[in-house]
Amino acid sequence: MEVDLIQIRNLKTYFYQGKGLLSKLFGQGLKIVHAVDGVSLTIKKGRTFGLVGESGCGKSTLGNTIFRLVEPLEGEILFKGHDVVKMDQKELRQFRQQAQIIFQDQFGCMNPRMTVGQIIAEPLLMRQGVKVSQEELGQEVAELLRSVNLDPDASVKFPNEFSGGQARRIGVARAIALQPTFIMADEPTSGLDISTAATILNLMQDLQDKMDITYLWVSHNLNQVKYMSDDMAVMYLGKVVEMGQTKDVFEQMAHPYTKALISAVPKVDAEGRKKTIFLEGEIPSPINPPSGCYFRTRCPYVFQRCEQEEPPLVDLGGEHYCACHLQSN
Amino acid sequence: MSEPLLEVSNLTLDYNLGDRKMRALDRINFTLEKGEVLGVAGESGCGKSTLGLAILRLLPRVAEIRRGAVLFDGTNLLELSEEQMEQEIRGQKITMIFQNPQNALNPVFRIESQMTDILRVQDRYQNPRSRKRRWDFKQQAIERLKLTGIADPEARISNYPFEFSGGMKQRVMIGMALSSGTSLLLADEATTALDVTIEAQINRLITELAAEYGTSILYVTHNLGVLSEMADRIMIMYAGRIFEVGKTEAVFGSPRHPYSAALLESLPSRQDRGKRLLAIPGFVPPLDRLPSGCSFHPRCAFAQEVCHQAVPPLIEVDKGHWSACLLDQKRGRQKWKWI
Repeated sequence: MEVDLIQIRNLKTYFYQGKGLLSKLFGQGLKIVHAVDGVSLTIKKGRTFGLVGESGCGKSTLGNTIFRLVEPLEGEILFKGHDVVKMDQKELRQFRQQAQIIFQDQFGCMNPRMTVGQIIAEPLLMRQGVKVSQEELGQEVAELLRSVNLDPDASVKFPNEFSGGQARRIGVARAIALQPTFIMADEPTSGLDISTAATILNLMQDLQDKMDITYLWVSHNLNQVKYMSDDMAVMYLGKVVEMGQTKDVFEQMAHPYTKALISAVPKVDAEGRKKTIFLEGEIPSPINPPSGCYFRTRCPYVFQRCEQEEPPLVDLGGEHYCACHLQSN
Repeated sequence: MSEPLLEVSNLTLDYNLGDRKMRALDRINFTLEKGEVLGVAGESGCGKSTLGLAILRLLPRVAEIRRGAVLFDGTNLLELSEEQMEQEIRGQKITMIFQNPQNALNPVFRIESQMTDILRVQDRYQNPRSRKRRWDFKQQAIERLKLTGIADPEARISNYPFEFSGGMKQRVMIGMALSSGTSLLLADEATTALDVTIEAQINRLITELAAEYGTSILYVTHNLGVLSEMADRIMIMYAGRIFEVGKTEAVFGSPRHPYSAALLESLPSRQDRGKRLLAIPGFVPPLDRLPSGCSFHPRCAFAQEVCHQAVPPLIEVDKGHWSACLLDQKRGRQKWKWI
């Protein structure tokens, strides 16, 4: 039985540049960055949802908006049926016990003056109505460290004494401390060596099986998303251009951007070199996105209609969605 | 067979840190043909970046080259004076592209002055009585920007680095590095910081320009996928030693060293959803406390008694395919299946 854990409807997050006094006096007026521009998607319980796209496409902003680390302009984020956007501080605190983040910068998200034990114990102390003794707390921390394959003795050490892969595992331990149902992992293996990255991927799959966690897997590494996720969405300039089950997206990719993105991923293949679709140019600025289809400036199949109309996200069957005029014809 | 452009033999290098001595390169032997792309791969700390810096002699003061030779076009670079290196080799015959173009460009100078500076210095070395003017260098720089595919180079050349995106900055670096006089390009993780679509563009640019000028490339990266598409031959390094060298198809198709096989099995792209990935147990050893014998033996699933004792030499196990594994050398081709 598949249950929807998170439903996002028409979510928009804009940032404003030039709001300050100096810009008002001397600047060229207000600039609006369309970071997330009308995204709707559904994350199913117990599954992994992969979110891919180039840097600047809004995938991290979308993730941060789900946790209300960034306030959305409009739209709904339903978590188990409750709208996160309308939650007050108390409800938000309860929501954040069930939903956790593993950040990209594993050292930046840990206080260098706290021991690892203190870092992992911090969320445990935030639980409301639960009183624990120091001893019990120590046991819980040791248990968490063991579950991410670290030595419990690590709890008295400081973050700088750990390697990148170990620090990432401490981040995982902290994220699972409150037994969340939902974890967002933002580029969880960036900067790690091949073999170390593999240990993190294995660990996170084990935890998912054991604790029934739903992941939102934000990454620009398509190989990894293909390996890890059940469902996925491809974002371009703040919009979802293709979405569906991972195997459908990879096997029957419909959007020209998805095709180019997947073909550009270098693969280790003894058979020799494959054909890469080269996109010309770079991702346009989200301040002044192009009219019509946002991808038309780089699309090899562009035609007149792309300039005038924005393509809607249409179902190609089997919950495989694509926003391209070529598909809706 | 054509003449090798670069021939590194027995190169051994130490970092002397107080009382600790780290052997960063240990008896490195390889050749690079003219026009060839040699990919160097390995985990962090395996010495792949040190190798590039050693060839250009851009090493920090604590580094000491113990022995060996770096023959470039018949000259031993290790015997040249600092002036000769500066005037004839660096930035002219051998150039380098670094991982982070942001750090390689000075943020307070325009692209124009940074590019023309190099051209002017090179021009003066080549012809001390040159009468070229600023205008000539600017035209030359615009020409190079155009080659690297930057739109509207006449206008963009007066921009500052922060006005360029990461991919464009890397294009500028390539424009500075590659010219008709360059015969060897060292690329150290040149596309690691870029998005996949931009990475594909930049790698295509490097390969095309190199092919046009007949430049050889030593491409250092930990991204095996990129190497599989770009490199003619692959060299796998571990803890300062070469473990395997051979044609790309051979090394990735049927690796002769358990470590190469392990790296390939750790890649998510090669594994189906739900199957476990290989995680090589243990860690890359610190260079001042290398294990005895084969430095990989504590982590190797196939290690035997003999691996603890003898350091395996790099031996040609198949035509053009070299491997440093005692078991492979003794018993012939093995299937290194970790999982």
